[in-house]
Amino acid sequence: MKRLALLSLIGLTALVLSACGTPTNINWPGLAADAENAYLANGNLVYAVRLSDGMKLWQYPEKSAGQVFYSNPVLAPDGQLLIGSAGTDNGMVSLDPATGRENWAAPMVANNHWVASPLVVGGTIYAANNNGTLYAAELATGYILWSLPLDNSLWSAPTSNGKLIFVTSLDHTLYAVDPETRAVVWKTDLGGSAPGSATVSPDGNTVYVGSFGKKVFAFDASSGAMQWTADVQDWVWSAPVQDGDILYAADISGHIYSLGAPDGKNAWLDLQPDGPITGSPLVTADGMVVASESGSVFAYDRTGTKRWDASLGGKFYTTPVAAGGSIAVAPMGGDFLVAALSQDGKVLWKFTGK
Amino acid sequence: MLSTVWNQIIILPFTNVLLLIYDGIGHNFGIAVILFTILIRLVTWPLNASQLKSAKVMQDLQQDKAWQDIQKKYAKDKEKLAQEQMRIYKERGINPFASCLPTLIQFPVIFGLYRVIMDALAATPLGFLQLARSIYPWMNAAALIPLNSKFLWMDLGRPEGIPFPGGFTIGFLPHGFPTLAIIVAITTYLQTKLTMPPTSSGTGGQSAAMGNMMSVYMPLLLGYFALNFASGLAVYFITSNVLGVVQYAMMGRVNWRNLLPGGQQQPAPGKKK
Repeated sequence: MKRLALLSLIGLTALVLSACGTPTNINWPGLAADAENAYLANGNLVYAVRLSDGMKLWQYPEKSAGQVFYSNPVLAPDGQLLIGSAGTDNGMVSLDPATGRENWAAPMVANNHWVASPLVVGGTIYAANNNGTLYAAELATGYILWSLPLDNSLWSAPTSNGKLIFVTSLDHTLYAVDPETRAVVWKTDLGGSAPGSATVSPDGNTVYVGSFGKKVFAFDASSGAMQWTADVQDWVWSAPVQDGDILYAADISGHIYSLGAPDGKNAWLDLQPDGPITGSPLVTADGMVVASESGSVFAYDRTGTKRWDASLGGKFYTTPVAAGGSIAVAPMGGDFLVAALSQDGKVLWKFTGK
Repeated sequence: MLSTVWNQIIILPFTNVLLLIYDGIGHNFGIAVILFTILIRLVTWPLNASQLKSAKVMQDLQQDKAWQDIQKKYAKDKEKLAQEQMRIYKERGINPFASCLPTLIQFPVIFGLYRVIMDALAATPLGFLQLARSIYPWMNAAALIPLNSKFLWMDLGRPEGIPFPGGFTIGFLPHGFPTLAIIVAITTYLQTKLTMPPTSSGTGGQSAAMGNMMSVYMPLLLGYFALNFASGLAVYFITSNVLGVVQYAMMGRVNWRNLLPGGQQQPAPGKKK
């Protein structure tokens, strides 16, 4: 019996040791905001936080029921708040942003979890699931209208130019889907996984995307013809963002790029403020803002000159969000869940979840 | 510090060897897990053999007259009994921990392998980021990931289950009928039973009780893991169990009688069969 107890103790120690050194694997905050509130998906809960003072308005569900949330909540034009779960329920849920009550939940269930945020176009939800399938569902009820199997895990939110739906996959591919015919119009190899969405230009004619192939691409939205590629120094996790003729992108080595939208030429040489960056930059009135894994937020103007930085702690994996007149950020593992910064980097409030 | 050492010595090398095998066999993660388990078993086989040898020595000692005499003589004096036992160990050149040490060394390997399989099948954004960072620079990580987690009817990154007919669900079986978990429990039971050494009826009562407890405890524990964790882990458990029986069989040490009720005991010394 003593030997059994000793072996069990050693085994338990090894098991604990095997879990050492790595943060919990179930969290990757998601963030959205409207003019009045920020909506945070964190672990098992979704919170609504008032932008004026950082007070909690509601949380969903009241008690955790097996849901896990990795993606950003999405505010639909009709006022619904949509979010998919990565828990055992594999369900997409619609909430009332004012109260947190469910509008609907049961109809939109896939056989795998949701990592991607949904896209709303008109009265239809387009949602990409980890099972490799693009779903279209009725916005009002959540009932699935049709589904299209694409390929490997789909983690990026679909985007659209009003005619085609663009979806990137972890399996190195960018798909363009015609929602009328429910068929793939074109697809192209990105040379590496693409967890981030494709960015559609304001005129709808060009699609930009970054990948683990250490490249940022520009494609013709209608045909998929490549317009240019820009080599970057490391993997691009999230979607590039466009500000006029500039395309901002960042990689997981922490490099930030200012690429010319017409030709992909990088105007910023070796701008690498701090740790890895997995979120997209946020375009602001004065330039752009990025948040890094080192727990810091940086703001740059359009010439690449740093305007300010704020060291907040935790690890930022989530894209900063414009929240009223402020900037909302949500770290993983910090001493707060979401914070609001002013346009000049001052902390306005921090929400800790209580 | 300890976790850094653990990661550098066990986790990262295991992850990259597993990915090397995966890349070499055409991107089938199920086969890669099986081959990797075989490799680990081969590498740790000298330890297993040493453990078997030590266990045999300890088992033979139970039949030794001098050993049995001191058990009877000092049955009520634990301290003296322990002293006499150590004296006999020393006289015979026996290390009483020799049968434990290989197990102690293998535990980190086993649990490291468990971590590596779970990490490689990264099903979450953070897991994916961690996996990307675990790959050595000289490997073409961008081409490798994501890993192809499909194997037979399973998604190795998720718990296995065959959906019940008609969409019927059972609360504690959210993934369907747990085929793999059942196979894990059965193979664990068989491996535990078949590789358990026989004990004499006179002095091996405690060993037999411990062995019987392990043959219930381990299948339940590993079956529980297989039910709730990624099915890649279950593939590893099944492969490891089958290999365990094969290795013991090659050494002629498989005790088929253990599968029979009361089959674990052998006749006490001096008694006719």
